[in-house]
Amino acid sequence: MKKNKKFKIYFIVLFFYVIVFFISREKFFEAINSFFLVLKDMLQVLPPVMILSGLISVWVPKEIITKNFGKSSGLKGKLISIFIGSVSAGPIYAAFPLTQTLLYKGASVENAIIILSSWAVMKVPMLIVEAKFLGMPFAVSRYLLTLPGILIMGYFASKLISRKEVLDSIDSLSGRVLEIEEILPGFNCSGCGYSNCSEYAEAIFYNNEITSKCVKQREEVKIKLNELLSDE
Amino acid sequence: MGTIILMGVALTLLLISFFKNRKKTKKSIIVAKKMLFETIINVTGLLLLISLVLALIPDELIKSLLGNSSMFLSGLYGAMIGTVTIIPAFVAFPLANSMMESGANFVAIAAFITTLTMVGFVTLPIEIEHFGKKFAFYRNGLSFVLALVIALGMVIML
Repeated sequence: MKKNKKFKIYFIVLFFYVIVFFISREKFFEAINSFFLVLKDMLQVLPPVMILSGLISVWVPKEIITKNFGKSSGLKGKLISIFIGSVSAGPIYAAFPLTQTLLYKGASVENAIIILSSWAVMKVPMLIVEAKFLGMPFAVSRYLLTLPGILIMGYFASKLISRKEVLDSIDSLSGRVLEIEEILPGFNCSGCGYSNCSEYAEAIFYNNEITSKCVKQREEVKIKLNELLSDE
Repeated sequence: MGTIILMGVALTLLLISFFKNRKKTKKSIIVAKKMLFETIINVTGLLLLISLVLALIPDELIKSLLGNSSMFLSGLYGAMIGTVTIIPAFVAFPLANSMMESGANFVAIAAFITTLTMVGFVTLPIEIEHFGKKFAFYRNGLSFVLALVIALGMVIML
């Protein structure tokens, strides 16, 4: 059903394009041209970004991401987030896969917002182009207002949205807590410090609890869990 | 230029990954390929539609909206146009320059550029797919407000 909805727009669009084609050839080709301009941009920038986020998801352990981008990463986390955004190339949608991977691996909502926003606006090459076309005072003052703006926005966003809500709404992650629970032995022995296995499973998924806390079959459980968690 | 560096970095890391562990690399490529196709399928329909709508809107209308004598209103129109428009950045700045020369308010231009890069209507479906509805709506909403604040703050700065 979801598939059908996705393709419905193509039929609607095709219909409008046919109408416009008969009314005004000029407008038709203007639309086609601007479409291909953006598509070309997308096809250049998306594949490398997708490759990078794929590599991060397979290679970088959760602990490292949590430490550098997690809730307790503080000012350092914010600075790294701004840095990542400002050295990356491409428009904001290119940042979605990478940021999603970081968020899943332990980054806070606040830092996710900061990465996305600085990816969109805080870029040195873009500042130079902006200064060239719109003047140095314009470009510099816009950047000076944007930087604190992004930090304030990140703070507000983290008060409005919880990390759990975001993780819950990612389709490809649904059922992940249950999968983690299945790997745990299910003795509910509380040896890990949680009152039962499913609480430990939730802590691993939502709060990036370490995977070596299960006292029964410690190594086996840890290996299986790490394999499952590096999947995304 | 930035794109070429990005491609270089991605390919180099991919090669290193390949020599270190083929199985893991293959897995990461499968993840990447899936994401790429989903993004393109989710965006092209809306992108085609917006391209058509923007081609049909007369230039004079945009000029009169962005040149509105009220700073706030022209900023608001600029922010709204930036929200629905999707164009590469290297096209956006020359365009903004020509809009300014033909009478657009600088508040409107600042709002336009900020929402153009930060707020995305066309890319909303993929944002929702990656982060969920709540995150996408709040992020875009807050960015829209921020764009207006920045644009009006420009009045004091300039």
